[in-house]
Amino acid sequence: MSAISSGRIGQARRYSPLIDDLIGALRCLPGVGPKSAQRMAFHLLERDREGGERLARALSAAVAGVRHCERCRNFSDAPICRICSNPRRDAALLCVVETPADIESIEQGAAYQGCYFVLMGRLSPLDGIGPAAIGLDRLEGLMTEGRIKEVILATGTTVEGEATAHYVGEMARRHGVRPTRIAHGVPLGGDLEYVDAGTLSHAIACRRDL
Amino acid sequence: MMRAPCSDWVSAIDEGSAPGRSDWPERLNAMRVELHPAFVIHQRPYRETSLVVEVFSSRQGRVGVVAKGAQRPRSPWRGVLQPFRSLLLAWSGRGELGTLTHAEPAGFTLPLSGGRILSGFYVNELLTRLLMRSDPHPRLYEAYAEVLTALAGRSGGEPVLRVFEKRLLAEIGYGLVLDRDNDGGAAIEDGRDYYYQIDKGPWRVAPADVVTVKISGGALIALAREALTGREHLRETKALMRFVLGAYLGGRPLASRELFRGASGVVSP
Repeated sequence: MSAISSGRIGQARRYSPLIDDLIGALRCLPGVGPKSAQRMAFHLLERDREGGERLARALSAAVAGVRHCERCRNFSDAPICRICSNPRRDAALLCVVETPADIESIEQGAAYQGCYFVLMGRLSPLDGIGPAAIGLDRLEGLMTEGRIKEVILATGTTVEGEATAHYVGEMARRHGVRPTRIAHGVPLGGDLEYVDAGTLSHAIACRRDL
Repeated sequence: MMRAPCSDWVSAIDEGSAPGRSDWPERLNAMRVELHPAFVIHQRPYRETSLVVEVFSSRQGRVGVVAKGAQRPRSPWRGVLQPFRSLLLAWSGRGELGTLTHAEPAGFTLPLSGGRILSGFYVNELLTRLLMRSDPHPRLYEAYAEVLTALAGRSGGEPVLRVFEKRLLAEIGYGLVLDRDNDGGAAIEDGRDYYYQIDKGPWRVAPADVVTVKISGGALIALAREALTGREHLRETKALMRFVLGAYLGGRPLASRELFRGASGVVSP
C-alpha cells in the first residue's frame, strides 16, 4: 500500500530550482502527472507569461478569499452565499447534496427554487467519516430554526449515499421536517433494454400513478 | 496459522516462464483468479479514475483489488461494485493488490435499506478489522451471505448479528465457549448465572482479579443453539459480544457503531 499512499515517488531535480518547483506545484492538480506538469510549466513560461501571472493572482486570491457558506457549506466569497441570501429562494425547501458540483448540476438542469446544504462527502464509517465530518450538526441546527418544511435528500445512489439519506431523514423526522428522497429510475430518452437490473427494479417498485 | 493450499481455481499464469519467487507462498505469485462469487466490503478512490476495492471472496477470503477506470462516468463497473450485492468477480496479478478483470452481478440481490445499511456497515467493519488478507474462510462467507439476506428481509436484526459474530469468532480461531463451564467442565445450566472470561469461557464462580462479564446460562445456551429470541437474552449476548469483540479489536472503537447513536429507530449492535 505504501506505493499508493505516497503519490510522488522519487522526483529527481532536472531543471533549475524555480522550474522544478513550478512543475512540482502543478502536480497537485487532479489528473496532472509529471509529464503534463512539465508541459504546462513550459507553456506558461514560453508562450503565456501574462496568463501565468493571472493564474497566480487568481489562485492566491481564491485560496485566501473563498470559504464555506455559513448556512449551506457551499463555496462562497461572502459569509452567506448567493443562493442562501437570495430572498426569492424558498427557504422552506432544502436540498441536501454531497458536493458543490451537485448543486451546479441541479441549478443547470432542474427548475429548483429552494436552498441547499452541501455535505462535502457522505457517511462512510469504514473511512472514518461520521456525522460531524459532513456537517450534520450544522444541518440539525438549521432544522431547529423551524423555517425548513421539507428536506430533499439528493445524495448519491451508492450504499453510502443511501445510508446518509437515511440518517438525515431520521434527523428531519425528529425535528418535524418532511424528508423526501429524489426518485431513481429510467433515464429520459432511454430504452428499458439498456437499463441495469437494479435501476429497473427500483423504477418498478417506485412507480407512480399516471 | 494454517493456510489452505491453493487449489485449481488459482492458476499460475504461464507457469513455465514466469514462475515467480519459489520462496513466496504460491498465492503471492502471478495468478489469475477466475470468476467466482464474492462481495465488495468497501471501496475507496484510487488515483483519478480507479478504485481500490476490498473484496470478501468465497475462495480467497478478504482480498484487495484495483478496479481500473471504475470511477469513469461510463464505466460498466460503476453501479456494480457496491457493497452488499452478490457479485461474480475475477482478477489477476501478483502481490498485495490484484487487478480486477471482470465483475458482474450474480443474480438479483435484495438491497439493504435504511437502518439495515448501518448494520451492514457494522458487519463489514468487523470483517475488515478481524480478517487477515488472503485467508480463505468459505464457511464464514456462507454466514456472511446469510446475514446479508436476513438484514435485507424482514426477519433480520439483532439476533442475526449475534449469530454472525459468534460464527466469525469461531472462524478466526477465537470461538466462544458456550457449552461447558470453566470450573469443572460441567454443562451450562439454564437458570444459573455465569461470568465470562476472554479466551477462557464461563465461570460459575467469578474469579478474582479478572475482568469478566456476567451472563445467564439461558443466554449462553440460546447463543450456542443460534436461537436467540427473548429480549433479556439479546441484551445479555450483546453485552457479551461487545466485551469479547472489544478485546480482539484492540483499543480503536468501531466507527460504524458510532453511527447508531445518531440514528433513531435502529438498535446499535
